[in-house]
Amino acid sequence: MAKIKKRGATGAARNYITRTQAVKKLQISLPDFRKLCIWKGIYPREPRNKRKVTKSVTASTTFYYTKDIQYLLHEPLLQKFREQKVLEKKISKALGRGDNSDAARWERNAARPEATGKPRYTLNHVIRERYPTFIDAVRDLDDCLSMLFLFANLPSTSAVPARMIARCERLCLEFQHYLIVSNSLRKSFLSIKGIYYQANIQGEDVLWLVPYKFNQRIVGDVDFRIMGTFVEFYMTLLSFVNYRLFTSIGIKYPPKFDQLKDEQGAELGAFSLEGVNIATDGDEIKAITNGESQHGPDPKVQAAVDKIVEELKADSSVDKASTEVVAVADEEEGEQASDSLDKFEPAAPGGDVLPQPTQASGNVSQLFSKFTVYLSRETPRQPLEFLLRAFGCKRIGWDSVLGEGSFTTDESDPSITHQIVDRPVVQAVNGTEDNGEDNQTSQKITQNQRYPGRIYVQPQWVWDSVNDVELKSPELYAPGAGLPPHLSPFVKTANGQYDPTLPLDAQETEAEALDAEIESDAENANAEEQEQSDEDVENDMNVDSANGDESEVDAEEFAGVSDDDVEEDEEEAAILQRQREVEAELSGKSLKSKSVDAKSKSKLDQKKALEKKAREEAEDLERAKGMLSKKKRKLFEQMQFSNKKKSTEDTVLRAKRRKLEKEQRKARATLA
Amino acid sequence: MAPTLPERKRKTRELEPESDDEFANVVFDGVLSQSEDEFDDLSDEEDKDDDESGNEGSQSNDEEDDALLSDDIPSDVDGEEEIRKLLKNVEIEIDEPGVDPKREEEEDPDKNYTVETDANGNERYVYEEIDPIYDSDDSDAQGPVNTIGDIPLSFYDTYPHIGYDINGKKIMRPAAGDALQNLLDSIEIPKGWTGLTDINTGNPLNLTQEELELVRRVQMGLSTDDLHDPYPEMVEYFTSKEEKMPLSAAPEPKRRFLPSKHEAKQVMKLVRAIREGRILPYKPPRSARGRSRRRRRFTLTSGKTRRPKSPIRCTFLRPNSPPWLRHELQPACRIFAEEREAWEALDPEEREKDYMPQKYGALRKVPAWDTLVNERFERCMDLYLAPRVRKNRLNIDPNSLLPKLPSPSELKPFPTVAQTIFRGHDGRVRSVAIDPTGLTVASGGDDGTVRVWELLTGRQIWSVKLSSDEAVNAVRWRPSKDSFILAAATGEDIFLMVPTHASVTPTLDQASRDILSVGFGYATNGQKQAAPTGKEPPAKWARPGTKLEDDGVLIRITVRSTVKVISWHRRGDHFTTVSPSGQRSSVAIHTLSKHLTQIPFRKLSGLAQTAAFHPSRPLFFVATQQTIRCYDLQKLELIKAIQPGAKWISSFDIHPGGDNLIAGSYDKRLLWHDLDLSNRPYKTMRFHGEAIRTVRFHKGGLPLFADASDDGTLQIFHGKVPSDQLENPTIVPVKILKGHKVVSKLGVLDMDWHPKEPWCVSAGADGTIRLWM
Repeated sequence: MAKIKKRGATGAARNYITRTQAVKKLQISLPDFRKLCIWKGIYPREPRNKRKVTKSVTASTTFYYTKDIQYLLHEPLLQKFREQKVLEKKISKALGRGDNSDAARWERNAARPEATGKPRYTLNHVIRERYPTFIDAVRDLDDCLSMLFLFANLPSTSAVPARMIARCERLCLEFQHYLIVSNSLRKSFLSIKGIYYQANIQGEDVLWLVPYKFNQRIVGDVDFRIMGTFVEFYMTLLSFVNYRLFTSIGIKYPPKFDQLKDEQGAELGAFSLEGVNIATDGDEIKAITNGESQHGPDPKVQAAVDKIVEELKADSSVDKASTEVVAVADEEEGEQASDSLDKFEPAAPGGDVLPQPTQASGNVSQLFSKFTVYLSRETPRQPLEFLLRAFGCKRIGWDSVLGEGSFTTDESDPSITHQIVDRPVVQAVNGTEDNGEDNQTSQKITQNQRYPGRIYVQPQWVWDSVNDVELKSPELYAPGAGLPPHLSPFVKTANGQYDPTLPLDAQETEAEALDAEIESDAENANAEEQEQSDEDVENDMNVDSANGDESEVDAEEFAGVSDDDVEEDEEEAAILQRQREVEAELSGKSLKSKSVDAKSKSKLDQKKALEKKAREEAEDLERAKGMLSKKKRKLFEQMQFSNKKKSTEDTVLRAKRRKLEKEQRKARATLA
Repeated sequence: MAPTLPERKRKTRELEPESDDEFANVVFDGVLSQSEDEFDDLSDEEDKDDDESGNEGSQSNDEEDDALLSDDIPSDVDGEEEIRKLLKNVEIEIDEPGVDPKREEEEDPDKNYTVETDANGNERYVYEEIDPIYDSDDSDAQGPVNTIGDIPLSFYDTYPHIGYDINGKKIMRPAAGDALQNLLDSIEIPKGWTGLTDINTGNPLNLTQEELELVRRVQMGLSTDDLHDPYPEMVEYFTSKEEKMPLSAAPEPKRRFLPSKHEAKQVMKLVRAIREGRILPYKPPRSARGRSRRRRRFTLTSGKTRRPKSPIRCTFLRPNSPPWLRHELQPACRIFAEEREAWEALDPEEREKDYMPQKYGALRKVPAWDTLVNERFERCMDLYLAPRVRKNRLNIDPNSLLPKLPSPSELKPFPTVAQTIFRGHDGRVRSVAIDPTGLTVASGGDDGTVRVWELLTGRQIWSVKLSSDEAVNAVRWRPSKDSFILAAATGEDIFLMVPTHASVTPTLDQASRDILSVGFGYATNGQKQAAPTGKEPPAKWARPGTKLEDDGVLIRITVRSTVKVISWHRRGDHFTTVSPSGQRSSVAIHTLSKHLTQIPFRKLSGLAQTAAFHPSRPLFFVATQQTIRCYDLQKLELIKAIQPGAKWISSFDIHPGGDNLIAGSYDKRLLWHDLDLSNRPYKTMRFHGEAIRTVRFHKGGLPLFADASDDGTLQIFHGKVPSDQLENPTIVPVKILKGHKVVSKLGVLDMDWHPKEPWCVSAGADGTIRLWM
């Protein structure tokens, strides 16, 4: 006879362990357990059948893998936690005894762990364990960066010590420096939550969110101890990642940090990068010196700008200058394009499609490299500075209010080519006379003063240019202009999905287009009739009702109604048509809207044909579905469901846009 | 003894090329001069010699010789040397015939020389060579040595010898051997080979066994001789055993349990020193800068190492998954007010997106996002607490799941509309069949009549009432064009008839009647034979009576229970009937030519439902409620049992090709079996809402089959069986034919295909027959 199996000796009961059991097994407190779990990346598991694990299970019971907990048993951190516990006990006992000096000494010694020979814990080994390869760490950087950038922007409280915030800030700035030097920033997006950045680090896309520079409001119950645990881990992770990234591009880590500059708000400028190689150490300081070390701007660019400025003076027209600058930029882009990959179009159908990289990364480093940009007081300096630098801009100036480290604080600096402004245009009363004066010397400028020879753009210009890796036309982004839509660069529209960048005609389905046309025709007819007269009230009413019917059909179609209803509607429409004819005969008039009807009829016919085709297709599908096994059919239906959901979403979006466009057209017509 | 000596001679002869010419001559001479007798003498003498010299072995001469050759002398050359000595003795003895050696020896046994006369006639003492026997004192005596003294060996380079032995004889240079020999030597390295050459002899210097052993011991780290024992037995100074009578029984002293005062003094000394600052208890803390520099960093490994295989670890979900980052700041579409309201009305947890797109005119107007910290915290909590499940997302085109069906145009032709409706039956029409020529349709119904109709027009051309109280359950045409015979079953009777009809020529009619009547003579014979067995015959073949005979009904076969199914063999000589209620005699096979009825199954597990012959091979299929069995009629054995998995099979049909079979069941299933493939169905189709009554293949070469169901519909399928055995049949549903009305839960009761055209007829419970084309 086989051996009788004991209950709970194998299977799920063995593989899972509740949290209470786990804490007991590890002999640590719950907060310590939490810390350990967060750092070691151990998370609860959902057993397939909770009842099989334990009998006394409630909905809120958390389970862990027993193997995971066993793995925690060997953790060196566990010993540290225990030591800490022992120390706390010691101190409390000493205090209980009234042995204050002892307690004070233990506490003092605990506060300087390096000195006592008992170093505090580090998370280095955890990082090594969790990220066996560097690329693993990069993949997990999303959360890390979002968290650290958020903490870098938090106010310091008792829960969030200032040191932690300072360290977060420093790590983030170092990381930004890497992105700038290696030109690995790819995209950025201004969202309502903050600014999203996407970088490509060693082939891996990393996306993170940086909040806007506002005082973060903390509402609701946020446990900063948990956040702090995460931040502690992430700080270690990012320092490792930074170290490796810096050394991979031959820069010494940590970079030199100027405390004084930092206190003055230099941020990125407070760091100076040194090459790791001693031979090149002296001359190759890659610091973000903001062009100061070069004693002014690039001579070539300066010459070009000077030339343009001279021309401008002769011409005194801002517009032309801006277009020429753009032209120069365009020419240069053209030259670069010769290095880039050629696009392979299939000559004949039937071949396989090979994926091709879409853009050369060479563009990235030179997008803004020829410009000297000045940031106005009201613009957000940090993101702009970072973005401009990451895309090749070397000279960025800003108002001294915005902090230390600018290329120039002088707004009237002649080398400035672009100025980013974000203030409303105030209609200048006496602005025109100032233009004739010498710009170089005048410091006091009225509110709306423009320096000739430079391009004024709104900040969105930078983001849109960056996302498309081409300089956008600055006219669209001129101060006070209605901005073009800023679309998320992370959304990849699949085939058939609503794409806001394309015109409506390019993406709407045939049926939708037809519906829209029929509707517009009907409306036109309506309008005509209204124009004609309102003598024949009855007739008008009929037409109205017919139109009403049609629009109902439209509405139903969105909801996806079966064909029977449509047929009924068709019948109704036919009846109405007949009735209308009869009435016309009775009243002795020819049918007025005949011509319109003929046109719309053909469209209706088309629509009918489309519907018929759709019905046939549906029938075919039904037949084919009948041949599937039950399992496959369910799968298929599930997929169809989700696809349908998406497509209805898209239809709704398109309908919305159509409505909007129509309104705009109408508005334009009324204006005209 | 005698026969062994020549061996030795042969040996010497073999050694000849290596040895000195002179010497060789001598030896040969001697040997040649000897006779058989002398051999004996010689050996005797030698025996004595051996005894005298105290050689312990009183064994045979050969053995001693062997010993000489093998034991004492390590190398071949030495052996030769020894042999040479031995032979010399022999030579001497032989050369001296006058002297009686025995006597001499008796005189002075210790004398080890012989007296010879030299060339001048003087005496000459020739000493025997000293034999360094085992117990001799002369331990230095070795093999022959090169006695050239301290002279470089290179002096002899030009000579064939390399020196002289103790007797002044030349030591010849050992043969160097040719290149091939060297190669062979280098391949087969002898034991103890060093690769060196002995200077004195010019022979290769090899290590002896003892030397090798020594080397091995040194290598193993052992002592050089066996005498040393590395692990001597331990002598315990204090025994581990507790003695019964210890030397001292004193109890443990108290001081062993008290803290040491000396130690306390030492500690106090240190404490005092620390307090006074003379020594520092810890390392002095480093400066802040130094600390930061010392922060240990190591590179995370570059992508080379493989991540540890751990199935339990899933990767973390990535935050900020982009799909919801959709035109937020500057929505291309203005968000309508209703939409916003709808969004705000929802519970925050139910919202699909946690934000509403909003348009801000400029970047400076964009406010802070209130709940960013909360969201981040939520994310942290998720990372820490959310159980994770690996979800495999199927990233496939849903259309790829669909089977590739041929387009409907390819599937044509198939019946689509009801062309003709045959009315006339009173009550249900139970059975319908198209004749082999395809011109007429026969039907039988509840009214007990069999009617024959013209197919295209729907005109009734013949009719006969077989029974007044029982329904006609089955009508089937004899499947051959040379006759026009219809079989119909009503109650327990089966009637065979020849309908009269305008298109039936008299010859055809006569031929049919002949076929039916030919068995009568036979039947009488058969019955004569069957009668003596005393059993009731399974069936009675008889004429139905003049009234019916006038109508064309020629034979009546009466079996034991109600017949429900008739099925003809393809040649038309046999047909089978099935009467599900008849226990043992449920299946009967009738032979038309002999008017003979046989019951093939004495016992059948389950109730027989229907039976059929295989279209080409001598196989017979019987369907019981749940299985279809296939029997070989020649070997009379069961070939296979097919299990469609249906609860109650209503009917089945075999594909004209013979390898496929369809079965319909009362539990609404239509099952396609590939007979070669498996006993289980290849496809199960459940398209009917009610029981399936009949299934039938098109027999005229079109890939069609159909089933008739109680829900009043026929379903037409395209079922193509490829000629290639490896391909699976394609089954495509093509058409649902609706038209029959459902009367008291019965819809279509039977159907049949036209023999050539894609037409079919169906018999409905509503009393109509419909032709579909």
